[in-house]
Amino acid sequence: MYKDLLYYLIFPGFIFISVAGAFLSWFDRKITAWVQFRKGPPVLQPFYDFFKLLLVKETILPAGGSRLTFLMAPVFALAGASVSGILIMLPALGLKSGFSGDIIVIFYMLAIPSVTYMIGALAAGNPMASVGASREMKLIISYELTFLLIVAAIILKADMSIKVQDIILAQVEKGPFIGSLSGILLFVAFVFCMQAKLGLVPFDMAEAETEITHGSFIEYSGTAYAFIRLTKYMMLFILPAFLCIILLGGFRTDGIHLLWTVMKMIGVVLLITLIRNTNPRVRIDQAMRFFFIWMNLLVIAAIVLIYFGL
Amino acid sequence: MNLIITYLEIIILLPVIAGVILFFLPEKYRKIKSLAALAVSLMVLYYTVKLYFSGGAPGQINLIETGFLNWLGTSYLSGSSGNFFMLNLDNLARFILLLVAFFSVLILLYSYVYMDRKNALRNYYSLILLTLWASVCTVLSDSLFMFIFFWGFLGLTLYKLIKGHDEESSAAAKKTFIMIGASDGIMILGIGILWKITGHFNISELTVRTSDAIRFCAFLALLIGSFTKAGAFPFHTWVPDFAKNAPAPSSAYLPASLDKLLGIYFLTRICNDIFILSGWIRLVILILGGLTIIIAVMMALIQHNYKKLLGYHAVSQVGYMVTGIGLGSVLGLVGGLFHMVNHALYKSGLFLASGCIESKTGTDKLEKLGGLSRQMPITFICSLIFALSISGVPPLNGFASKWIIYQGIIDFGKGTGMANHLWIVWLSMAVIGSALTLASFIKFISGIFLGRSRTGLKKVKEVSWMMWTPMLILALICTGFGIFASKWIIPALFEPVTGSVTFIGVWDSSFISLLIAVSIILGISFYLIFSMGRFRTDESFIGGETNRRDVGFEPTSFYETIRNFGILKPLYGWAERKYFDIYDVSKIITLKISHLFSAAHNGILSNLAFWVLAGLIFMFIFLLI
Repeated sequence: MYKDLLYYLIFPGFIFISVAGAFLSWFDRKITAWVQFRKGPPVLQPFYDFFKLLLVKETILPAGGSRLTFLMAPVFALAGASVSGILIMLPALGLKSGFSGDIIVIFYMLAIPSVTYMIGALAAGNPMASVGASREMKLIISYELTFLLIVAAIILKADMSIKVQDIILAQVEKGPFIGSLSGILLFVAFVFCMQAKLGLVPFDMAEAETEITHGSFIEYSGTAYAFIRLTKYMMLFILPAFLCIILLGGFRTDGIHLLWTVMKMIGVVLLITLIRNTNPRVRIDQAMRFFFIWMNLLVIAAIVLIYFGL
Repeated sequence: MNLIITYLEIIILLPVIAGVILFFLPEKYRKIKSLAALAVSLMVLYYTVKLYFSGGAPGQINLIETGFLNWLGTSYLSGSSGNFFMLNLDNLARFILLLVAFFSVLILLYSYVYMDRKNALRNYYSLILLTLWASVCTVLSDSLFMFIFFWGFLGLTLYKLIKGHDEESSAAAKKTFIMIGASDGIMILGIGILWKITGHFNISELTVRTSDAIRFCAFLALLIGSFTKAGAFPFHTWVPDFAKNAPAPSSAYLPASLDKLLGIYFLTRICNDIFILSGWIRLVILILGGLTIIIAVMMALIQHNYKKLLGYHAVSQVGYMVTGIGLGSVLGLVGGLFHMVNHALYKSGLFLASGCIESKTGTDKLEKLGGLSRQMPITFICSLIFALSISGVPPLNGFASKWIIYQGIIDFGKGTGMANHLWIVWLSMAVIGSALTLASFIKFISGIFLGRSRTGLKKVKEVSWMMWTPMLILALICTGFGIFASKWIIPALFEPVTGSVTFIGVWDSSFISLLIAVSIILGISFYLIFSMGRFRTDESFIGGETNRRDVGFEPTSFYETIRNFGILKPLYGWAERKYFDIYDVSKIITLKISHLFSAAHNGILSNLAFWVLAGLIFMFIFLLI
C-alpha cells in the first residue's frame, strides 16, 4: 500500500513523469527555436515557468463564471494524467504493484484531462473559452474513434489480450508491432491522434493563440494555470510512452537498452515537434473530416492487413 | 419457506390495496396521500430487502398450493392452468424486485414537494403504487399469461402518468400508449406461438431452440415487446416524446428506471431462459444494440430541450445493455445487468435534476438557462456526477459497467461466428457512443449550470431538502458503485444472479479511486498553501472587446459543425421530419390505407348496395370452398 503510493507519487509516477515531461517540453521548445532560427530557452525554463506561475503569480477568477468548478477542473486534469501515467509506466518498467489497469482503462483515463479542460473552460464564462471548449469536444469525438480502432488493432495483434503486460510480452516474443506493414499504418495514425490529444498544430484549434487567444485556457492564471502547464508536461511524456509500449516494443532499462528507450522517446517527441512546426492549423471541420474519413480508413486498412497476417 | 410466502403476499397485496384506496381519496388530501404512498413503498422496500436476504433455493412457488390464493383450490383451475399463479423467485427476480422498490421510495420522496402544486397530475400517487404493484407482479410471474397481463397494465399506468394538458402532450401520451399497446399485442402473438409449439405458458418450463422460422417469429415477437418497453431502436421513439412532456418524476420512474429494469429483465429471460439463440440472432441483436447507441445519441446531440435530450439518452444507453446481453456470455450478462442498474441510477437522477431545474426556472429550453451552478450547488454537483457517470468517466459507475461490456465484446471476438468476427464494429460503436454521450452532456451541464447567468434567473434558489435528498442518495450510490465495482459490487450483487465471472482485463477501481482522491487533496492543499490570499476576481478578457451580456457562444450551437457535416446533414433533416420514426411511418401507411377504403363509403346507396352484394358473394365463395 505505502509502496504503491510511493510508486504513484514519486517514481515512476507523478514526480518522475512531470520532470521527464518538463525536459521533453524543453526539448520541444529548443527544436522549435532551431526550426525558426532562434536560440531557444535554457534547460530549466519549463521549471522556471511552472514555479513562477505556482509561487509568484496571482490567480484571477472570472467574475461571470462558476469559480469553484473553474478552480477544481485543473486538479482533476492533473489527477487523470497522473493515474494514466502510472498505469502506463508500471507495466512498462515491469514493476509489480498492488494495482493495475488494462488498455481500456488507460484509453479512458487519457481522455480525462481533455474532459476537465472543457469543463473548466465552460465554467469560465468567457465566450472565447466556450469556442475553445466546443472545438475541443468536437476534436475528441473525431479522434476518439481512430484512437479506439488503433487500440483494437493492438488487441488483435496481441492475440486478444487487453492487459498491458501481455501486449509488451507479445512484442518481446514477436518483435515490436511496428515491424510490420499494419504496424507502420497504426504508427502514422497514432502520431496524428497524439498531435490532437496534445493540442499541437495542426490540431490546436481549441487553444488557437492567434485566433481565440488560447481558447479553453484564456481565463486561467496563477496556480490553476500552473496545474494545467504541469498536466501538459505530463501528457507530453505519457502519450509518447504509451506509443512506445503498444507499438515500439516497450521500455527496457538494462544496460545499453536504456539508451534505446530514451532514443525512442526523444525520437517520437522530435517527430511531433517537427509536425507541429511545419504545418498550419486546420479548421475544426477539416480536422473532423481528416479523422472521420482518412485516419479511420487508414486504421481499418491496418486491421484488414492484420487479418491477413501482415 | 412460509416466511418467504408471507413476504411475497405483503409485497404483492400491499401496493394494490393502498393504490386502490388512494384512488378514491379526494385530491385535496394530496399531502396525506403522498405520505401514505411513501410509507407503503418503504414497507415494500423493507420486505423486498428481507426477501433478498432470505436465502432459500431459487425456485417456483405456486400461490394456489401455498399462498393466499389457496381458497381457489386446485380443482377449480385444474390441469396446467394451475400454473397460472406460479411465481418465479430466482436471484434475478429478487434483485429486480429490490431495485423496483428502491426507486419507488426515492421517487415518492421527491414527489412530496414536486407534485404539491395546483394543477399537478391527478391520482399520481395511486398510479405510482399501482405501477409498483404491476412491476412487482411482472417480475414475479412465471406464467407468461400472467406476465403479459401485468406488463400490459404497466402500459396503462404509463399512459396515465403524462398530463395531457395541451395538444403536444396529449399526442405524446397517445403515441406512448399506441406503441406500448401494439408491442403488447405482438407479444401476445409470440406467447400464442410458443404455447402452440410447446404447450406451456411457464417460463420455467420453456426451452426453445430458434431453429426454424416459426420459433424465430416467436422470439422476434417477444423481443419487440422487450425492446419497446426498454426503448431500443427501432421501437424507441415514444421515449423522447414522453420525457419531454411528462412531469419529471414520471420520467424518472418509468422510462428511466422501471421500464429499463423490466424490459431488460424480460430480455434476459428470453435470451437466457426461454430461447437458445443461434449465431444469426446474436448478430441481429448486436446490430440493433449498436444502432440504438449511435442513432439515439446523435439525436441527443442536437436537442435544445434538455428533457428531450435526456429522453434520447434513456434510449441510447439501452444499446449497451442490449449489446451486453446479446453477447450471451457471463461477462456480457454481468455488464448488461450492471449497466441497467447504473443507468437506472444516473438517469433517474438526471430526470429528477431536470425536474428541480424546471420547477425553479419554469423553462425546459437550454437557450434560456445558464450559470445556475452558484444558485443550485447541490443540484449542480449531483448532475455533474450523473453526467460524468453516463459518459463513462472513470472511476464512476458508468465506466465500470461499460468496461465490463467492452471486455465482453473483446472476449466475444475470440469466437468463430460471423458476429464474433465483427467485434471491432461493436466495440467502436460502443466507444464512439460513449464519446458522443460525453459531448451531449457537456452541452447539458454547460447550458444549464455553467457559463454566464441569465438576467431572468437571478432569484433562483436551491430546491428543498426533500427534492435534493433523492438526488444526493443516487449520486452517492453512483460514486460508490463505481469505486467499489470490481471488488465488492460485482461479487456481491451480480455474481449470485449470473454465476461467477472472470474478467480478462484488470481495473482496481478502489485503489485507483484512492489515488485520485489523494491527488485531489494534494491539489486543494496546493491551492490553500500557494495561492490563498492571492485570489482576485475580475471581468473576463475577450480580446479587448467590451464584455456584453448578450454576446456569447451558446452551448446549443456547439455541434452545428456536426449537424452540417457531409452525409449527416440530410440524415438529420429526415430524422427531424420523422422519416425514421416507426410510429409516424406506420401512422402514414395506416391512414393511406384507410383513405383507400373510405373511398368506398361515399354515401351513395347504389354503391353501398354493390359493396354489400360483393361481400356476400365473396363470403359465399369462401364458404363453398
